[in-house]
Amino acid sequence: MTTQAAALDRGGMDATEVGMGVYNMKLGMWVFLLSEVMFFTSLIGGYIILRGAHPDMFAQPGVVLNVPLTAFNTFLLICSSVTMVLAFAGIERGDQAKLKMWLIATAVIGMAFLGVQVYEYIQLSGHGFVPTVEGYRAEGAPLYGTTFYTMTGFHGFHVLMGVLALWYLVIQAFRGKYTAGSHGAVEITGLYWHFVDLVWIILFTIVYLI
Amino acid sequence: MATTMTDAHAAHAQDHHEPSFLRKYVFSEDHKVIGIQFLFMSLFFLMIGGLLAAIMRWQLAYPTDPSRPLPGAGLFPETMVNAGIILPEFYNSAVTMHGTIMIFFAIMPLLVGVFANYLIPLQIGAPDMAFPKLNMMSFWTAFVAGLIIMAGFFVEGGHSAAGWTQYVPLSADPEWTGVYTGQQLWLIAMTVLGFSSLMGAVNYITTVINMRAPGMTWLRMPLPTWALFITAILILLAIPVLTGALIMLLFDQTIGTTFFTVATGGEPLLWQHMFWFFGHPEVYILILPAMGFVSEIISAGSRKPVFGYNAMVLAIVAIGFIGWIVWGHHMFQSGMNPTLGMSFMVTTMIIAVPSAIKTFNWLGTMWRGDLHFHTPMLHAVAFVAMFVIGGLSGVFVASTPVDIFLHDTYFVVAHIHYVLFGGSLFAIFGAITFWFPKMFGRMMNSSLGKIHFWLTLLFFNLTFFPMHNLGIAGMMRRIYDFTQYEFLTQFQGLQVFISWSAFLLVATQVIFAFNFIYSLFKGAEAPQNPWHANSLEWTAAPSPPPHGNFERTPTVYRGPYEYSHPDAADDYWPQNAPGHAAPASEPAYAE
Amino acid sequence: MEHAAAHTGGASIKAYMVVFGTLAVLTVIEVLIPLRFGFPKNVQVILLVFLALWKALLVALYYMHLRYEPQRLKWMVIAPLPLAVILVMAVLTEF
Repeated sequence: MTTQAAALDRGGMDATEVGMGVYNMKLGMWVFLLSEVMFFTSLIGGYIILRGAHPDMFAQPGVVLNVPLTAFNTFLLICSSVTMVLAFAGIERGDQAKLKMWLIATAVIGMAFLGVQVYEYIQLSGHGFVPTVEGYRAEGAPLYGTTFYTMTGFHGFHVLMGVLALWYLVIQAFRGKYTAGSHGAVEITGLYWHFVDLVWIILFTIVYLI
Repeated sequence: MATTMTDAHAAHAQDHHEPSFLRKYVFSEDHKVIGIQFLFMSLFFLMIGGLLAAIMRWQLAYPTDPSRPLPGAGLFPETMVNAGIILPEFYNSAVTMHGTIMIFFAIMPLLVGVFANYLIPLQIGAPDMAFPKLNMMSFWTAFVAGLIIMAGFFVEGGHSAAGWTQYVPLSADPEWTGVYTGQQLWLIAMTVLGFSSLMGAVNYITTVINMRAPGMTWLRMPLPTWALFITAILILLAIPVLTGALIMLLFDQTIGTTFFTVATGGEPLLWQHMFWFFGHPEVYILILPAMGFVSEIISAGSRKPVFGYNAMVLAIVAIGFIGWIVWGHHMFQSGMNPTLGMSFMVTTMIIAVPSAIKTFNWLGTMWRGDLHFHTPMLHAVAFVAMFVIGGLSGVFVASTPVDIFLHDTYFVVAHIHYVLFGGSLFAIFGAITFWFPKMFGRMMNSSLGKIHFWLTLLFFNLTFFPMHNLGIAGMMRRIYDFTQYEFLTQFQGLQVFISWSAFLLVATQVIFAFNFIYSLFKGAEAPQNPWHANSLEWTAAPSPPPHGNFERTPTVYRGPYEYSHPDAADDYWPQNAPGHAAPASEPAYAE
Repeated sequence: MEHAAAHTGGASIKAYMVVFGTLAVLTVIEVLIPLRFGFPKNVQVILLVFLALWKALLVALYYMHLRYEPQRLKWMVIAPLPLAVILVMAVLTEF
């Protein structure tokens, strides 16, 4: 096998490698996240544009949406971000116990976030705040529900994907797959997880507070 | 990860010794096999798209004429073709699906799926893509999207009939087109295809940035790789916006949201903006790789360096950037804010500059060259000529006042076909002929290739040039029966002429298909470097290259277009041939 | 992986905790702006957007380790942001 093919098998982590200066998987994750930026631009941007066009169809903050509950949820997501970096910091120092503990914490907090979101959805739709034209009884107009559920729903979907990835990492961690010298998967899952957190920071401000 | 590494090694080693048929040809992770899989899939869709065009042309030549039933009408159910007459609903589907299939399932995978996969690792000296598994998934996702899009023809109500641009409210409410399931299948197929393109783009970008061979600096990369790299960036950032819009439209249709429905607060113009924010970069996705292939072929066919290599790279990058801020020129007649329209007109005129730079550079490359008019070269030269015609008609429609008159007429149809068929497809034919020996180890038949080229060039122009006149005379795009307008009936004869040219154009492609299949099995054995080209895929790897591509990782000493260099022994100078290196404009490894 | 670790290990646990605290405090301020403070609407919007961008930047720089990455990766990451702004701003003028 050629030296480069060997480098390829190690995820391109070769000291002699030319290029961006980060290994392939990490570069690939960043490139993918750039595409995600544009995806969320289409959803959040669509909301900004529609709201700019019809300000009267959207309610003021706190009227329909439960801001304190979501603020708590935001706090949860921030916590999960810090547990994620602690897991990463743990494995960087070769500390398997810390890695496992913080990974599990991150996954559990992520699931708690999803649970709160589902609870919020149930509560809101009970008050007639639904994504569809039919059955919309809340303040504002159906457009409000439409954009709200699409944006938060797709964010929730991303969180769900992240939670699945985290449980996969937990399983791998218990099988001892990660070491101080080799933990690319932890790092790139972390990148994804923080990105999802970052999107929520923007989303929360624009949708709930403005 | 250490254990994973050993596992991966073991799996890899096993791969080398005993690759099962399934792993080698079906679920292959080899970028070359994936490229070839894309090639067969997109040629199939090219055929479907061509047949749909022929059906449309039959209707336009003999609109609802019972004495001229559609040949083979019996093959279609009565809901599509009744008593030999193409029904309006089916005509609308054919228009929509001709556009959709040609753009998304034929030209785009031909340019990107085939050649980005096949060429990028070979031209930069990498053993494979950065993520071979992802690459395999990219093809099979595209395959699933192809199945879904084909399924649309067989569902009740027929396939989507809202035009390839899917403008709302036409696409949002089945009331207008009578299509429900087909419409949703269209949206789902495009979303799935978006995932495939995304996986591909992540792969191409990572590979180009991180996996170049030693000495392969940015400004020593062959132009096809440059073009495909910028194209991948466009795909990466444009496709998600389309995906967002598709999801909104799908929700509007299925669960009853109201993104685009006016009555309940939605904005149809938002669809147009999102579609074209994706759609205009898409236009460059469809032409940039073609420009890259043409640069390569013209340089090799003229035995001269590409005139202004740096300017070529700069032009590709400039097109890639300016391409983002011109999308509104598709929407001049949408009732858009005039200030915005004006800005879009100016940016559109500006983007003509890099395109013109490229054109002059191709001419400069050929100027006083030792011209070899082999089949790929013929296609490349035709590309330049047709692209100029298409580019000039583009300047017409780019100007708002002229566009008021020409919008949604056959002039636009002529324009897009000059760029997309005369441009991209000619480049694709050239590129397939050029890289066929590398892919399959055999040459394509040159006489058949030339016959196919000349007939295609002739019938292409006979088909599409008169459409300019039709458009200026007021013939509407996508119209089912133009004879219902008095002033268009005088063009009946011209329509018949165009249609028969189109049928002959389609028939000519049989020559290509025959040549392709014949050469696959019976073509002359190809040498390693039949075109005496410089880039790594010719000089460092046999035809076809084995799994892993290169015996040893090649080292690159110079740019890819050192033809007829006085210091070289031959009239070409391989990129990986040691010897005194031409002074690099940047140090090796510089980023 | 050694060299990759050298790149990413820049942030200390202490830095992570400081960022965490800042994010939490900023979030509290954010929530109070529309619910408690009676600023005019446009002042509110500017403040909130500013705070959100601040928080996002903290996450990107410290949690995603962008601060410790090579310069060219930073450039690559900010590349699509102008496009996002162009899309939203141009279309906003429409309505």
